[in-house]
Amino acid sequence: MRALIAAVIGLAAALALILTVTAIGAPTGSTSPKPLLTTVPRHP
Amino acid sequence: MRRKASLVLLGIAAFCTALSPLLRWYAFPRLARIPANEYQAVVLQAKNPTLLDYTRMKDVTVPEVSIVQTLRGNVAAAKQVRKETGRDVVVWDALSYIADPHGAMVSEIPERYVFDAHSQAPVHAGGESVDGDPVRRQGIEFKWPFLTQKRDYYYFDAQTRTSAPIHYRDTEQFHGLKVYYFEQTVPWTKVPLPKKMPLGVTPAVVTAAGMERWYTTKRMFWVDPVTGAPVNGEEIHQEEMRYIGHPEKKPLVAFAGDVKMRPDYVGSTVELVKEKRQLVLALTSYLPWGLLGLGGALLTAALLLEVRGRPGAARTAKPAPEPVPA
Repeated sequence: MRALIAAVIGLAAALALILTVTAIGAPTGSTSPKPLLTTVPRHP
Repeated sequence: MRRKASLVLLGIAAFCTALSPLLRWYAFPRLARIPANEYQAVVLQAKNPTLLDYTRMKDVTVPEVSIVQTLRGNVAAAKQVRKETGRDVVVWDALSYIADPHGAMVSEIPERYVFDAHSQAPVHAGGESVDGDPVRRQGIEFKWPFLTQKRDYYYFDAQTRTSAPIHYRDTEQFHGLKVYYFEQTVPWTKVPLPKKMPLGVTPAVVTAAGMERWYTTKRMFWVDPVTGAPVNGEEIHQEEMRYIGHPEKKPLVAFAGDVKMRPDYVGSTVELVKEKRQLVLALTSYLPWGLLGLGGALLTAALLLEVRGRPGAARTAKPAPEPVPA
């Protein structure tokens, strides 16, 4: 019984971690101030 | 004490083992996304192409033509489309600027491309357009989806404003990366004139001169299958100005050339892709397999501890030898 509880705690922790990480997601940031180029750049 | 340790190990083993498929099939599709604020510029070149000289209305060969392609993620527009559609989208404002050997504009075509940040499916909102004309894209453009497959995709052609299959042809090695080679041929098609052309020439002027623009291209891409990012591109591109209603008249060549990515941009793109693909591989391969292995090892350790900790195991264990007096 105690083994079963330990396994369930492990599973629940994994699920909680994944749900939290995916809910937070990645920050969107802001639009780059760099222009759409109308000259040929010399370097990348 | 051993029983307690084996229970802790069992809990951690369950945690690791459960995390492995959750990461791969739940977290990855939700976390892997194209950043809304992406900014990229690529330069392509055609050596000794043929161009139309609008002052003489004659086709001429020039030493070089450059195509500067810039993509800029419009974060505000993406947020607006998300509000309207409820989907996590990316809005790319793109510009293809074609410059002659002196840097003067040959033509420039702006685009707005709106697509799902995760699956890259096109989203028909937010003013998707090509050269100011509203379009309805089908399939992909500029980039392939994450975990690209060895199959044909629908690829949007900005000149014809239509989508057609781009065919998977082969798997190749390119600068140390395994890449998928895709190819698409667009047959001769009548296409709209760019709104911006040299010397202030407008589409109305060309039409008044009794001409229309036709185009064909063979498009080639070498794509990193992990990120879906093209690491090299090439187009054998031809454009003609044909006389309306006079098929007997020889058309003028508006452009003819083999357009390739400039080598320095190939190098920088490969470096960028090599870095980004590690993040995708971490979520799809390294972490899931690592966690699965760790979970298995911990489970084995927990079972061993459990077996050794049982009272029966103590009885059957060999007694320690008696100390021998010196």
